[in-house]
Amino acid sequence: MKNLLFRSAFLAMLAAAPVFSSCSDDNDDTPTPDDDNEQITTLRYELTPTTGGATLTAQYRDVDGDGGAAPLISGLTLAPNTTYTGKLVLLDETKNPAEDISAEVKEEADEHLFLFEAAGTNVTVTRTDKDKNNLEVGLDTRLQTAAANATGTTGTLKITLRHQPGTKNGTATPGDTDVEVTFPTVVR
Amino acid sequence: MFFRAPGRSRGGLAGLALAVGLLCALPRLLWAQAPAPANCALLLSGRVLDHESRTALAGATVVVLETRQATQTEPDGHYHLDNLCPGTYHVQVSFVGFAPETNEVRLTAAAYRDFRLHPDAVALKGAVVSGQRVAAPATQATATLSEKDLQQTRGKTLGEALQKVNGVTALQTGPGIFKPMIHGLHSNRVTILNNGVRQEGQQWGPEHGPEIDPFLASQLTVVKGAASVRYGSDAVGGVVLVQPRPLRDSAGTGAELNLVGMSNNGLGAASGMVEGNLRRLPALSWRAQGTVRKAGTMRAPGYYLNNSGFEEGNFSGAVGWRKSTYGAEVFYSQFNTRIGILPAAHVGNQQDFLLAVSRDRPLETTGFTYDIERAYQQVRHEVLKFTGFVKTGNAGRLSTTVAQQVDARDEYDKYRPRNDNRAALDRPALSYTNRTSTAELLWEHRAWRGFTGSVGLAGTYQFNRYADGSRQFIPFYTNYVGGLFWLEQWQQGRWLLEGGLRLDRRDLQVKRATREGGVFGVEESRFQYTTPAASLGAVYDASTHLTLRLASGLTRRAPAPNERFSDGVHNAQYELGYDLVPGNGPARPETALNLGLTATLHDNPRLNGELTVYQTRIRDFLYQSPILPPVVNIRGVLASWQFQQTDATLRGLDVSGSYQLAQRWLLAGKAAVVRGRDTRQDEWLIFMPADRAELSVRYEAANRPDGHLQNSYVQVLGTGVARQTRVPRNYAERDYRLPPAGYGLLGLEAGTTVHWGRLPLELSVAGANLLNQRYRDYLNRYRYFADEMGRNLTLRLRVPLEFSHAKSTP
Repeated sequence: MKNLLFRSAFLAMLAAAPVFSSCSDDNDDTPTPDDDNEQITTLRYELTPTTGGATLTAQYRDVDGDGGAAPLISGLTLAPNTTYTGKLVLLDETKNPAEDISAEVKEEADEHLFLFEAAGTNVTVTRTDKDKNNLEVGLDTRLQTAAANATGTTGTLKITLRHQPGTKNGTATPGDTDVEVTFPTVVR
Repeated sequence: MFFRAPGRSRGGLAGLALAVGLLCALPRLLWAQAPAPANCALLLSGRVLDHESRTALAGATVVVLETRQATQTEPDGHYHLDNLCPGTYHVQVSFVGFAPETNEVRLTAAAYRDFRLHPDAVALKGAVVSGQRVAAPATQATATLSEKDLQQTRGKTLGEALQKVNGVTALQTGPGIFKPMIHGLHSNRVTILNNGVRQEGQQWGPEHGPEIDPFLASQLTVVKGAASVRYGSDAVGGVVLVQPRPLRDSAGTGAELNLVGMSNNGLGAASGMVEGNLRRLPALSWRAQGTVRKAGTMRAPGYYLNNSGFEEGNFSGAVGWRKSTYGAEVFYSQFNTRIGILPAAHVGNQQDFLLAVSRDRPLETTGFTYDIERAYQQVRHEVLKFTGFVKTGNAGRLSTTVAQQVDARDEYDKYRPRNDNRAALDRPALSYTNRTSTAELLWEHRAWRGFTGSVGLAGTYQFNRYADGSRQFIPFYTNYVGGLFWLEQWQQGRWLLEGGLRLDRRDLQVKRATREGGVFGVEESRFQYTTPAASLGAVYDASTHLTLRLASGLTRRAPAPNERFSDGVHNAQYELGYDLVPGNGPARPETALNLGLTATLHDNPRLNGELTVYQTRIRDFLYQSPILPPVVNIRGVLASWQFQQTDATLRGLDVSGSYQLAQRWLLAGKAAVVRGRDTRQDEWLIFMPADRAELSVRYEAANRPDGHLQNSYVQVLGTGVARQTRVPRNYAERDYRLPPAGYGLLGLEAGTTVHWGRLPLELSVAGANLLNQRYRDYLNRYRYFADEMGRNLTLRLRVPLEFSHAKSTP
């Protein structure tokens, strides 16, 4: 025990050790809006009859992001045997001002493909725009209705955005799904 | 033996691990160097035998660690130690060519105790072994996986290895992520002590396994049941102690190499360790260790499971300085992993989702590859720890542990950003950093009239952030915890009583981003809790072969931030914390009352075993359950989960036993049953482990002195798991898929030690799911989409190396 001095010093150090684990004050940090994090909060499918008349809109909107309040989805009631000019609008409304995602998709049209699948209703959608490789995109469309739905029945129109960077070949297969929204749709 | 009787302290390797052991230890033993009272005239005697041949070992050394009394066995293997005082001692027996063994002996009267030593794989290792490493409260049911048991789990994750312990199951996500579940409780209710430091990762979500390299551990101890007084209020369900071997304290350099290969997913693992002790500076010891592990696509019977590979790279180092009256150790470890996430969970609309969860196999399967694609998680966990102790004269011993750990978790979505510039940055969608500083100061007082005990102070400072631009899932939070505890043990005759008290104060400050109606805002809140804990238990040695343990505990646990505020999507799952569920107020603290009774039949020549029955009542029990209908986002439907609170009662039993059928044949079995009731709704609790049982037969070949093969064994193992039928009412409307059918699995294992020159090579081959059974487990989150792993063969090799001049044990 001749190194009593050392031991005492050591003991003191031990006792003080918890103090060394000083915690730098990080309390001033605050969450910031996640601007780099892409979201599509809103998809609007605007349909104008080629013969003129009011524009119909199907909309999916979820401004508070995933979870929280459920997305608001409004469907379509279309006239029979009518041709519509369709336009897709995609927005990120979590940003301020809202970011126009459809413009971005247009810029990178050679990586994107929209799919339109109707079920239980007589609706046919044709893509009318092309990318630089002459492959269809789907931001601009023509929608053609046929006979009205049987009374009491409603169909659906599913709109899918496939993101196909470097792999776009005109089919749905490559890439990932960025959007998949199903609208209740009826021809009446 | 593939499981061990709990409570048996492992062969004491030692030295610096004192510091480690201490942390994990209850004060029972220890440095009680009380001056000899009057009736210190007890005699301890017995024989030392070779465990294999049962022949007497002459000249073996028997040391009472506490008193430093030592003797050598006589030609017939007998030893005598006299003038011992009543009390608990650690008696260490060593003999050249055998693994030294340290056993606890409780002396109240003259006692006769035999020791059986196992031949050492590394003969003439020359390590002088002293000190001890102690785990776990004496009164709780505990189970230990020794180095030998762990050898059979090398290459697996920590949570997977722990499933060897009866009563422990795992909450699983695919082949790479296992979260230990003890008696039906998991996550925030199970404390993991990694080398003496509370593991503080981002444990939100069952797909976040403990960030620990299991190769670090030479011993895993599981405390089954509450140990909140010693380890903090969240150790309600139990504690896992991950204990490395103590630093070397004999001069020289040693090393160990482990290699593992698996057939199913092409897993390869290599782990190496080098350690040394300087001849000129005997107080200084060091160790360096590293592991790499990589697995490719897992194969379920009939198909490959997409993107199920993972990779891992870990290393650690420790330096210790130890004298008889003080010591210190610095330890650093880093754990890195990348784990692929099954894309089957990424589905489109409701109908696709229902199809995906009803399919026999995922729609997209794949070939074999080592590539990990999106989605994946990338995790780094670093720990820096300092421990030290000083003997405070005759009064006891003071020790401290200070640690800082940083857990960085990045989760990459399956979907790349649509914008090419952002995609080029390749940023994770979720990027979290959790930093935790912990400190503990412990004073163990010397034995006084049968009392041993300790007083401790513990503090935690934790902060959690996500990177700018990444998605919120867990909010920013800062957490301060301060605690004070006191544990005492009293021993008299065959009785040991233990009681403890703890008080924690917790201050949680949360900053959460909100987007009410699309407008960004930050919501700040602050919560303060005072949570007490108390425990009382007893151990009664009914005979030399039967020990009874009773443990009870009362704990209050403050809800964790993830249980309250998780919100968002990760890995195609949506999770919602309790406070954010519409209509809920703030989550209330849980109050848990545990009771456990354990009977252990031990040290019998043929039949040994253990039975544990327990009950845990938890008021305001927080648990996760599926949200139905599932949450929808613009990509489609997500498997969704939310936290709820109810009153719960969990009861169960673990039974295990082994029977020596014949000299070389050992029959062993175990079974675990958990019953969880929601007493508020009067129905079964969701996601409780199904009943399971295991039976094995093991043959150990005789060791011939001139044989090239030593310690050879073969073992057949059958595992059966029942279908979970005890689920909440109307279950089809409460979960996405009904519990899967029960299953039975067959396994086979064989191993031996080959002497290659002077090198002992420990080789084993193990086959799991030999019949290539298709099955799903109720507690695997992939069970909605995919089957479990098919047939798998594992080859393991362990090579211990010794570079020092061989010196025999004194």
